Amino acid sequence: MAFLINPEDQDLLDSVREFCEKEIKEQCKEYDVSGEWPAEIYAKAAELGYNGLEVPEEYGGLGLERITVAAIMEEFARADAGFVTTITASNLALKAVLIGGSEEQKQRCCDLLMEGNHGAFGLTEPMAGSDAGNSKTTAVRDGDEYILNGRKCFITNGGVASFYVITAMTDKSQGIKGMSVFVVEAGTPGLSTGNHENKMGIRTSNTCDVVMEDCRVPASAMMGNEGDGYKIAMKTLDMSRTWVGCGAVGIAQRAIDEAVAYGKQRVTFGKPILKNQALQFKIADMEIRVETARQMVAHALKLMDAGLPYSRESAIAKCYAGDVAVQNALESIQILGGYGYSREYPVEKLLRDAKIFQIYEGTNEIQRMVIGKSVIGKF
Amino acid sequence: MENQGILVYLESTDGQILKVSLEAMNAARKLAQLSGKKVGAVLIGDASAAAAAASYGADEVLTVAAHGYQPDRYTDILTALCERYDVSCLLLGSTRDGKELAARVAARTGSGCISDAMSMTESGAWVRSVYGGSLQETVSAKGKAVVTVRSGTFGKPELDEGRTAPVTAETVDATPLRSVIKDAVQELSESVNLEDAEIIVAGGRGMGSAENFQLVHELATLLGGVVGASRPAIEDGWVLRNHQVGQSGKIVAPKLYIACGISGAMQHVSGMSGSGFIVAINKDEDAPIFEVADVGIVGNVTEILPLLIEEVKARKN
Amino acid sequence: MELLVCIKQVPDDTVNVTMGADGAPKLDDIAPVVNAFDTYALEMAARFKEANGGSVTVLTIGGEGAVPALRSCLSVGADRACRVEEASVCDPQGTAYLLSQASKKAGEQPFDVIFCGSESTDAASGQVGAQLAETLGLPVITNVLALEPKDGGISAKQETEDGYRVVEAACPCVVTIVKPDYEPRYPSIKSKMAARKMPVAVLTAADAQADASKFGPEAAKVQRAAISAPPQRQSGVKIQEKEAAEAVRRAMEIMVGQKLI
Repeated sequence: MAFLINPEDQDLLDSVREFCEKEIKEQCKEYDVSGEWPAEIYAKAAELGYNGLEVPEEYGGLGLERITVAAIMEEFARADAGFVTTITASNLALKAVLIGGSEEQKQRCCDLLMEGNHGAFGLTEPMAGSDAGNSKTTAVRDGDEYILNGRKCFITNGGVASFYVITAMTDKSQGIKGMSVFVVEAGTPGLSTGNHENKMGIRTSNTCDVVMEDCRVPASAMMGNEGDGYKIAMKTLDMSRTWVGCGAVGIAQRAIDEAVAYGKQRVTFGKPILKNQALQFKIADMEIRVETARQMVAHALKLMDAGLPYSRESAIAKCYAGDVAVQNALESIQILGGYGYSREYPVEKLLRDAKIFQIYEGTNEIQRMVIGKSVIGKF
Repeated sequence: MENQGILVYLESTDGQILKVSLEAMNAARKLAQLSGKKVGAVLIGDASAAAAAASYGADEVLTVAAHGYQPDRYTDILTALCERYDVSCLLLGSTRDGKELAARVAARTGSGCISDAMSMTESGAWVRSVYGGSLQETVSAKGKAVVTVRSGTFGKPELDEGRTAPVTAETVDATPLRSVIKDAVQELSESVNLEDAEIIVAGGRGMGSAENFQLVHELATLLGGVVGASRPAIEDGWVLRNHQVGQSGKIVAPKLYIACGISGAMQHVSGMSGSGFIVAINKDEDAPIFEVADVGIVGNVTEILPLLIEEVKARKN
Repeated sequence: MELLVCIKQVPDDTVNVTMGADGAPKLDDIAPVVNAFDTYALEMAARFKEANGGSVTVLTIGGEGAVPALRSCLSVGADRACRVEEASVCDPQGTAYLLSQASKKAGEQPFDVIFCGSESTDAASGQVGAQLAETLGLPVITNVLALEPKDGGISAKQETEDGYRVVEAACPCVVTIVKPDYEPRYPSIKSKMAARKMPVAVLTAADAQADASKFGPEAAKVQRAAISAPPQRQSGVKIQEKEAAEAVRRAMEIMVGQKLI
């Protein structure tokens, strides 16, 4: 099964799949070991326009349907979850700008992505992950400028982005209502990046600290007004969660692909192991999970397309797909047995990659809070 | 030369007839036996191999003067001879040049052109590979034929030193050249005789790197064999292209073929499946190479090969 | 320069073709792709155009089913596409004849260089390019690795058994292309979407003023008597040991036993 895309777009998916097969899948194994950011692969992908898939047509994008982009993202994730993380993180930064930015900011960031650059979204801090209101980064107005100080951590694309969406407190006394958000371009004096994190998985994505030390930005770098930051950031995450779920679906699907390929040829007690009903049931359960997760992603996208509320569905899609990715990776390892545990085979990487999908862009606990609250309501 | 006979174009370098041209001669002899026709051989430019041509089975040798290889000139010459003697079948070795000349002469003479023949049936039809070697077709020309013969398929004809044949110098008028060879650069100085090798040790993508590929060289040298390769190893630049075995390389049939880190794509297998004994080493237990291997070792080739080299060394001492 | 690239759709050559029960190759389940050598030819033509100006037209013989192949060419460097609506072409010489006629109608201006792949991965005759040149009465350079304009004509690097030659020809001419030291480009999302909207011109044999008696079944100069799978080898023992040394020991035992070493 797959996302039900416009038949006309199938050729896009075919060409993306070919690129993933030939240029990403095998190559990323090596980078998974070294932890190096595969600049060459990203440069090739950028040339093919993979960084600008979500840029709206009115800002120079190609006007792809969301569902088509989702199918493409799933392909990326099937090939390598670090790769899709990089692309999704750029799009996360883009979404923030499209939600809260001025026309000028929107055009600038869209141009940067269409030219093959990356973006980064900086909300998380050492003491403010799920608890974003505890942010310590500050922005102090000084004439026509703001002076930013603080440290963001675990920022995807932190070391490779051309533009950063940075949240900072303009009025700490007001808590989340005192949070504002800025677009800061790479190269701005006072903005620097820390060391590349040595991560468990998604090792082909760049993750690092982004540090502001008396980083001066023009007042026009602020999106919206002072105090709009939290609202913009939350709206952005609401939307982006579905896309994170889409990446998780790709991992979960890859887990099935690998398990089926292995299980058909691995013979024990004189027959391929997939002739055993116990394992067929495992595959069936994996398929049930991935397909329901995929359709939840599709449903959330459909709500976005229709202009209807989607916060709850987006949270469900992310939370469920993240859990499914981990479960399917675990089952795939189990089906491959000792080989599944070996780094010679691709499935142990899937588990390492999958785990982050229960953590980033709102932990699955946060998602459950969102979902629970939306069901129960105020009482 | 008699009319409607068989003509073989013998390519030579430094007076030595190419082995694949001798294979074409062998095919011509077989066709002659079947049809009762005579076999003429033509040497263009350097005529010094005329005696050898007779010893290998030519009933008559034609020589034509030419100054260096120019495909336009050679096409003119072969076309003129085919027309002059109403040649029923022109045979050439399947070299790059041979294949170009064959196609062009066939177009000019209106002959059916058959490329890369691998064997001949009892009725004089030709068998050749299609679909990357996964299938074979048997084809024949409706009228006159131009056939190129794949190297490593027909074998050399028997050499009869006492055999002689009349040599006739032919003249073919020169016409202006439309494409001109200005320069030739030799890049591959070492000649690789895969076709005659008794042992071939071949490496593929699974070798992983140029350094690891040295293990293939080491084992080949130790066994007195020749180094072969599949296409990926050549494209990755680990070994020169004249080592290639398969559809776009050489067809080989050694007594022992050791395939190291070669997955076994049909394009490769069809070039080596005639080997006497095949040993395959591959870490993927599902690799198609194992389907043709007499002994398949499932394991990491960079781990297996050094051990195999040590074992061979130990036995040698 | 005006460049023409002749392409052929072939069954995906990474898939093994087997025989069907009807005695014909089973091709229905194999995805059609543009012949690999033709993709090299197109890439070389596209680079030539990008360096020297001009345009690239792709030409193929086939029905509606050939349109996706042409569109994929349009997404990786071709500017125009044309197909000859003709299903049955007898053999390489028939193909060369029909292409030669169509090449006179496929472009707005006459072509300066006609590119062909050196061979197709299915029939692998390697004849069409050279025969197309003969039919058109044009110079040909086969097995080309690289190409550049020179004195109004072209200079090509031709692959040989032991190296390469430098060959020159005046335009118009035909070149056949082997694998250069680069890969064909991937289509971008943008070029793929643009290719959907580009027209594909259609010529009938009559439009091309091609005489069916020169390319149809009766024109065949080569006929196929049979097609079959080659003899299969039987596989022997497969050694799977935890210890590599043990696997090597067992393999050696067999090889020595067979007096191979």
